[in-house]
Amino acid sequence: MSLVFLTILQILIAPIASPLCIGIIRKGKALMQNRRGASVWQPYRDLAKLMRKDEVIAYDASWIFRCAPYIVFAATLTAATAVPVISTLGTFTVIGDILMVVYILAIGTFFLALAGLDVGTAFGGTGASREMTMAALAEGAMIAVVIAVVVVTHSTHITMMSASINGSTPLEISPLVLAFAAFFIVLLCENARYPFDNPATHLELTMIHEAMILEYSGKRLALMEWAAAIKLFVFISLAVNLFIPWGIATTTGGGTLLIGVAAFAIKALVILLSIIFIESWMPKLRFFRLPDLLFTAVVMAVISVVITVF
Amino acid sequence: MTFRASVLNILNDFPRASRGEVPVYTVPALDIRTVASCLYHDEKLLLMSVVAADERPGGGSFCVYYSFGDPTHHAVLVLRVVLGEATTFPSIVHEVHEASWYEKEIYTLFGLTPEGHPHLQRVLVHENWPTDAFPLRKDFSWDTRPEMADGVFEFSRVEGEGIYEVPVGPIHAGIIEPGHFRFSMIGEEIIQLEARLGYVHKGSEKLFETLPFEKKVQLAERISGDSSIGHVLAFCQGVESMANVSVPARAQHIRVLCAELERLANHMNDIGLIMLGTAYNFGSSQLARIRERVMLLNERVTGHRYMRGMVVLGGISRDVSDDVLAGALRELAHIHKDFNDVMRICRGNITMLNRLEGSGTIDRTAAIDHGILGLGAKAIGIARDARKEFPYAVYPDLKFEIPLEESGDVYARWMVRVREVPEVFSILDQVIRSIPSGSLRGDMPAALPPNMISHGISEGWRGTIVHTILTDNQGIITRVQVRDPSFLNWHAFGYAAKGGVLLDFPLINKSFNLSYSGYDR
Repeated sequence: MSLVFLTILQILIAPIASPLCIGIIRKGKALMQNRRGASVWQPYRDLAKLMRKDEVIAYDASWIFRCAPYIVFAATLTAATAVPVISTLGTFTVIGDILMVVYILAIGTFFLALAGLDVGTAFGGTGASREMTMAALAEGAMIAVVIAVVVVTHSTHITMMSASINGSTPLEISPLVLAFAAFFIVLLCENARYPFDNPATHLELTMIHEAMILEYSGKRLALMEWAAAIKLFVFISLAVNLFIPWGIATTTGGGTLLIGVAAFAIKALVILLSIIFIESWMPKLRFFRLPDLLFTAVVMAVISVVITVF
Repeated sequence: MTFRASVLNILNDFPRASRGEVPVYTVPALDIRTVASCLYHDEKLLLMSVVAADERPGGGSFCVYYSFGDPTHHAVLVLRVVLGEATTFPSIVHEVHEASWYEKEIYTLFGLTPEGHPHLQRVLVHENWPTDAFPLRKDFSWDTRPEMADGVFEFSRVEGEGIYEVPVGPIHAGIIEPGHFRFSMIGEEIIQLEARLGYVHKGSEKLFETLPFEKKVQLAERISGDSSIGHVLAFCQGVESMANVSVPARAQHIRVLCAELERLANHMNDIGLIMLGTAYNFGSSQLARIRERVMLLNERVTGHRYMRGMVVLGGISRDVSDDVLAGALRELAHIHKDFNDVMRICRGNITMLNRLEGSGTIDRTAAIDHGILGLGAKAIGIARDARKEFPYAVYPDLKFEIPLEESGDVYARWMVRVREVPEVFSILDQVIRSIPSGSLRGDMPAALPPNMISHGISEGWRGTIVHTILTDNQGIITRVQVRDPSFLNWHAFGYAAKGGVLLDFPLINKSFNLSYSGYDR
């Protein structure tokens, strides 16, 4: 199979497959509550519905509010193209640096918070303030995790890191178990999942992520929701391909690609199931406890680095 | 009705008239503050209501009735202040703080000024309501449509560096009633919470004066949708005691059955909603399911999910067959087991319990000063429950406990409900097993006795409901004052949110689950 085709596939897979992840989480949570739940395809229908709908925009909204969904969506999609999903080949090598990906995502978060502040409603402001508090702490944990992986793989390029770990012995990468746990906490935080945020809440006073996009409707809301789904997909891809990349396709052969797809699907499903389990079993933590949890992530990542170096 | 000698001593000097069972003492306006203070503080009587009445059409004047209840002797007495030519009366707020909200209502709806009230403002009516239209005066027709006025609602302001306000509502994200909350914040901390209510003010008390009898009963059922039985029971018991009607034993049992089913359904609902407030999905969805089982049972027993139309003056409207009762007994046993199984899992979730503990702790003194009722009172260790304090129907024959918690936080209010549920199951079991056969309705007289006052008291699931009912000199109901427990608890509620964080507010709100409609009427 040609490299061009593979590249196109890797670019498209995030936006196409990401709503399914949200659908699976919702379905799983419903089943855990003895409910039947909506179909796993419901998020696609929601996006299609929102795309067709008219928008209501506040009089006080400035260009920031109008542009933010496009910027957030574009930033998240750009980050997604750099992350390998089923193959170590065919990603945009120009922006394949992990620090690049982390900070392209941060651009999205930044504009999301700005948009929350822009219309001047109380909820948008509190949401933005909470998001920034969390983002600042999550960034530290994320960088600590990145350093841990970089120390093991001697590279900051995601595909190289992935390939390197794929070729390592279990003993060499065993310190990364702690870094993986830390990364999982960051994943929950960055994607507004429990115990940080409740993505399905109607309680406007407790929301973080939802509070910022409360004023959006129609197409812009669809873009925001889609971007959030893609971001989750990016984090799942990073978790899968940085820490447990075995099975990822390293050639362009059809057979290895199929194995790559299957391996990714299974591993992603395991991560989704963990999220489902956490969200069914655990309530949200108090807001002022959340820094403790993120600090735990930092400590785990740092220990991981220390073990690797010595 | 009997009272302690010390209570009677205070009132010895004042002329006493018996209006039905209730002794009414006419107290000069000058003495009311002292007398009220003695009864409330020294004798520990409970303030049941402060009610104004426009008695001008019968040749009288405006009067204010202060009802005090004695929970140890299960009796109520009334102090009556005749205003004569005056449109002012002395405020007793400095002595009895919880009287404040009654006085504000009298000020708004009757145009009578409580003199010396430290914070007089209009309540319930919108700022567009003219300041010179007083809907509860007799010369104000119920269908008057006044001119739109241009008033301003004044929130109390907190000022200082870094303080900002968060307005929430009156339209909320969930399917709940309308109410506006104004938070004064510093960072995430709540400095002050002011609730602005009145969005669902329907003029129910005025309607009680104009509607025909059977519609009055229906109106009582609709004061607060989720406590239909609580309110209709209060109203019917008030009228029945006034008319001296004895309700047949079978009807009394079935009334208690309905009242406890209502308590059960609402406790299930709240226990689940509080867990939803912590985002604990398992608990919330399971309790919603169990609550639905109770609602279906309600429908099987009475023909209506909220049991409307069941309680009527003199008794109940339809019989419940032995088959249905036996079925209800079996279903209740299943629901009880279901509830125990679910709660064993929920109460094992330390993270969820930890989230409840210490959130929304209410200031005990402030709560007592505001006359906190029902679940809120039980959560600070005060057994305020009309089923024990002013027993009615068949409650005196039933064995049950009032569970109490001390900490006054969300956990305490959650736990009071959780622990009350087994008591409710026990009451239901006792009642169903002891239902006697017999008639369903006592005979209501064609007219009520004139110049009467009576108090319909029932323990709704939120707390004590009091309907104060007055008749004029022709025996026509001339005034009904409805006190839902939310009337007092809404004001105590602000003290539970104070010092907390905004993120906890939905949880605190759910832990009280006060009625907007019951407050606004």
